[in-house]
Amino acid sequence: MLYFGKQIIEISFALWHLPESLPRGLRGTTFSKMSASITGLLKPWTPRVFLVRWSRYNPYYLEPEPRKEVYHIPETELTPEQKEERELKSVRPIKAATNSVTSSVFNDPVLSKFVNMMMKDGDKIIAKGIITQTLENMKRKQVEKYHKAPEGKKAEIECNPYAIFHQALENCKPVIGLASIQKGGKFYQVPIPLTDNRRRFLAMKWMITECRDNKHRRTLMYEKLSQELLAAFSKEGNVVKRKHELHKMAESNRAYAHYRWW
Amino acid sequence: MAASSGRTVGSFLWKCGNFCFNFNTVSSNLTRQVLSRQLCVSAVFHRKNLAAAGPEKFSEEFIKKQVEEFNIGKRHLANMMGEDPETFTQGDIDRSIAYLFPSGLFDNKAKPLMKHPDEVFPKQRAVQWGADGRPFHFLFYTGKQSYYSLMHDTFTKALAVEKHQDRLRGKGLFTQDAKQISLVGSRWLLKEELEELLVETISDHDYARFIQLMERLLSLPYCSAEEDFVQRYRRQLEIQSSKQQVQPLQYDQHGVAYSTGDGRRKTATGTVLLRDSGSGSISINGTNYVHYFPVLQDREQLMFPLHFMGVLGRFDMQCSVSGGGHSSQAGALRLAISRAMLSFLSEGQVETMRQAGLLTPDPRIKERKKPGQEGARRKFTWKKR
Repeated sequence: MLYFGKQIIEISFALWHLPESLPRGLRGTTFSKMSASITGLLKPWTPRVFLVRWSRYNPYYLEPEPRKEVYHIPETELTPEQKEERELKSVRPIKAATNSVTSSVFNDPVLSKFVNMMMKDGDKIIAKGIITQTLENMKRKQVEKYHKAPEGKKAEIECNPYAIFHQALENCKPVIGLASIQKGGKFYQVPIPLTDNRRRFLAMKWMITECRDNKHRRTLMYEKLSQELLAAFSKEGNVVKRKHELHKMAESNRAYAHYRWW
Repeated sequence: MAASSGRTVGSFLWKCGNFCFNFNTVSSNLTRQVLSRQLCVSAVFHRKNLAAAGPEKFSEEFIKKQVEEFNIGKRHLANMMGEDPETFTQGDIDRSIAYLFPSGLFDNKAKPLMKHPDEVFPKQRAVQWGADGRPFHFLFYTGKQSYYSLMHDTFTKALAVEKHQDRLRGKGLFTQDAKQISLVGSRWLLKEELEELLVETISDHDYARFIQLMERLLSLPYCSAEEDFVQRYRRQLEIQSSKQQVQPLQYDQHGVAYSTGDGRRKTATGTVLLRDSGSGSISINGTNYVHYFPVLQDREQLMFPLHFMGVLGRFDMQCSVSGGGHSSQAGALRLAISRAMLSFLSEGQVETMRQAGLLTPDPRIKERKKPGQEGARRKFTWKKR
C-alpha cells in the first residue's frame, strides 16, 4: 500500500490483511475510510491524527515531474508501465513544484539536496553562494592542472565541476552501515544494508562536517570544500578514509550480522 | 403525523391538466380518472438506505403507478411551458417547477419537488418469502443475503478462473503475460455505493472483505475473462485536467493578444498581465525583474513556466506583487504566469503543465505555534526539577 507510513489511524484494521504485493502499480486503491466524495481529497488538508512528518497535501496527490524531456517521448516509445503511469497521472491531482525546482538543465536534485544540507538558519542565499564558489574554484584548479599537464595526460583530467562533484560524492558513499542493536542487555554494532537515500545523506553529511571541523581556521568554506571534493574525486582525503573505516568496522563485526531481523 | 418535507407536484399538475383545456393538453381518460390525491413524502425518505429499515412500505404496483403518473405529468408540464414533451429533461422540469411554484424557503428539501419516483422512493426489497413463509433465497437467514450471495459468486468465478488456468497448464499453454484488466482510471465502489447496489446495510469489515476478495480475483493471471463482472463494481475517476478553468484570450486595440492571471503563495499575492508581443521584457511593480529579484532562484522560478513551454522570449509581462518574502512572491508570480499562459496553450500542453506541478497552488503555510511549546515544534527547555 502506498501510504502505510503516513495514514496509520485512518485505515481500518481489515486493510492490514490486504495482499502486500500488488503486482501492477496502484491497482484498485481502496478508500474505505475516506469520505463518500473525492472532492474532499482535493483541498489543503490537515490529517485527523498528526504524525511528526505530515504535509498539507492529501496523500492522494502525486509528485510532479518538472523535466521537459519526459513529455516529449512519443506514444510509441513508452513502456507499458510508463503508459499506466501516464493514465494514472491524468486522473490524480499533482502537488505543486517546490521553489528550488525548475525545468532548466542546470537544475540538479543532488546539488539542491547538498545546498539544503549546507544551509544554516534558512539562509539559502549564502549556502548557494558557497556552492557556486566551490564549483568555480574546482574548475579553476582543474583548468590550471590541465594547462600544466603534458599532452598525453590532458584527456584524463576532468574539468566539468558537476561531474567532479557527482563522482566525488559517489566515492564517499558507504556500501554498508552499522546499527546499534540491543541483545541480552548489551548493545552491539550490527552491519546492516543502507538505502540509497541514507547513503547519499551520509556522504554529504561527512563531507560537510569534515569541512567545517577539521580544516584550518583561516580557510574559507568554499576553499575547504573544493579541496575535499577534489581529494574525494581521486579517492583520497579524510571523507573517503572515514568511509573505509566504516567498512572495516562492519567487516570486523560480521559475526553479529545475524542479530539483524529485517 | 410525519412532517411533510416535500411534496411531489405531479399530482397537482394532473389537476391543472384536468382544468387547463385552453393549453391544448391531451387530457386522456386516464388523467381524469386519476384521483387528485396529494402525496406527502416524509422526512424519513431523505435518509439513505431505507431498505433494511423494515417491511416494504410501498408495493410494486404503487411504484409503477407513480412512474406512469410522473411521465404523464412531465408531458403536461412541457406543454404548459410551451416546450417539446419529447426532449424535456430533468433540468427543465426543475426549472419549470421553480418558476411555477416560487418558494421563499431556504431549505432545499422543503421546496416543491418533481422527480422520477425511483429517486424519491428509496429502493426496497420485495417480500422475501412466499405464502408458506418459506424464504426464496437460500441465504436469507444470514441476514445479508445479497452481500453473501455476491461473495459466493465472486469466489465461484475465482475458482472457475483457476480451473481454466489449470487446464491451460495441463495443455502447456499457460503464460504469465496474458491480457490484464486495466484498472488505472477507476476506483472500487465505495461502501455507501455498494450498500445502494445491494439494497442492504453492510459493515466496514464486510466491505473490506469484499475488496480483498476482488483483489484476489484480480491477482490471477487469466482474470480478464471476468472483466465485465469486475467493472460492474468499479467507477471511473474523472480526468483532472478537465477541471482547469481556462480564460478565453483577449485582444487589445492594437490586435495584440493578452491575458491575466493571479496567484498566491503563503501570504504573497501576485497578478500578471501577459502580452504576446515578442520582446520578453518583465517588469514587477514598475521595476525591472533583475533589480526586483537579485536572487537567481527567484528569477529561475519566474522563467520556469516559460522555459517549460519553450516560449522564453515571446511574452511581455507586467507583474504586481505584494506580501510575503522574496521566495513566496516569486512562487505567487510563477503560479500567476502559469495561469495566464493557459489561454495561449492547447489541451495537451495544459495537461503537461499540470503534471509538472505548475498549476497547483502550494498549500504549505507556516505551522501554528502550540500552547505549552515555544514554537511549532520546539519545546521549552526541559528542566529536571
